[in-house]
Amino acid sequence: MELMKLEIITPNGAIFDAEVKQVTLPGAEGEFGVLAKHATLVSLLDTGVIVIEKADGTEVAVAINSGYVKVDEEKTTCIVDGAVALSGEDGDLAKALEEAKTLLKSTESSSTAIAAAVSKVEQIGKSF
Amino acid sequence: MANLKEIKRKIGSVKNTQKTTNAMKLVSSAKLKRTEELAKRSRVYAEKLTELLNEIAQKMQQSNADGIDNIYFRDGKNPKKVDIIFITADKGLCGGFNSQTIKRASALIAEYQAKDVKVRLRAVGRKGIDYFKFNNVELNDEIIGLSAAPDFKQAAEFISEVAASYVNGETDKIILIHNGYVNMITQEIREDQVLPVDTSKLELNTVSTSELEVEPDDDDTLLDALVKRYVEYTMYYSLIDSLAAEHSARMQAMDAATTNAKEMVKELTVKYNKARQEAITTELIEIISGVESMK
Repeated sequence: MELMKLEIITPNGAIFDAEVKQVTLPGAEGEFGVLAKHATLVSLLDTGVIVIEKADGTEVAVAINSGYVKVDEEKTTCIVDGAVALSGEDGDLAKALEEAKTLLKSTESSSTAIAAAVSKVEQIGKSF
Repeated sequence: MANLKEIKRKIGSVKNTQKTTNAMKLVSSAKLKRTEELAKRSRVYAEKLTELLNEIAQKMQQSNADGIDNIYFRDGKNPKKVDIIFITADKGLCGGFNSQTIKRASALIAEYQAKDVKVRLRAVGRKGIDYFKFNNVELNDEIIGLSAAPDFKQAAEFISEVAASYVNGETDKIILIHNGYVNMITQEIREDQVLPVDTSKLELNTVSTSELEVEPDDDDTLLDALVKRYVEYTMYYSLIDSLAAEHSARMQAMDAATTNAKEMVKELTVKYNKARQEAITTELIEIISGVESMK
């Protein structure tokens, strides 16, 4: 499977910068997945969870409050305001989950979007 | 003898000052490192955001023959009302850091007033506020504390208000002045036009973006949100940049002060020794002449 570059950038710097297989993004008009060689696209991102399938097949989730994504053939760049990474690697998952929920709830987007995102975060929390 | 004591006291006080300035220098250099790191990290974000804005604007210009039809991209060439935001430090003792910004702001105000343009001032940082208040210049906004500890939320709130007055026509142009960080020993006054977005600075027509898909489909929604974020971020970044410059300026000023104090101590010590020797010589002469006279 072909790989593409994914960058997630927050005001505090880049939190993710690596080659990935696939990424699922919470677009303003609905969730969408991006693979390598995707057509050029710019989209607003809503409150939600970015799910990344890394080159080795493992999945990482990042909760975000809002932002933009710019997709072109080789590279996907997410510019987000606030993000909390949820991964099984760092031991403090419970804390990360809590942080993610606070981040999601602090946004101004619609309550349904927040609820959906929070439930997704909880699901991810259970799967680890 | 009194002279000797006086010099000694002076040496003590200069040494104390030297200790203080040296401590301040160390504090500033530590803070500078932290702020520099913060600036470096957020620079990436600022760059990507500008890049994205660039591309969207480019696309809109290509699809629209009369240029970009959006309130944020109005022609800002002949403004009638201008808002000037300037950032200074809350504290002094940093060389010409604050006065340089104030000077530039004053020059800009004079320039606009000569053209019959209404100017409103918004000050961030105590030093600038104090200066303009002392000179009886009206300030629209006075924000203290933000320039010493930049906070994205607070910065965004402040600039959103200013941007809102741009949207509803209260002002035609928003200019941001701050003293920016170049390197450890140089600062540079930066003057940014926040709104309308300066299209002359955007690198248009470099890439064809006709195939760029935009979601939501309405360009304006995206552009509005993007410009809002861009403006907020410009403000925030300027605050960080200004803070880094402040620390580097203070470091320099305190370094110079420490060196000066050291030199002064040296000079005073020489003076002290001379005075001491003089006193001894006088005493000796007195004793010898006393003995001579008794013979």
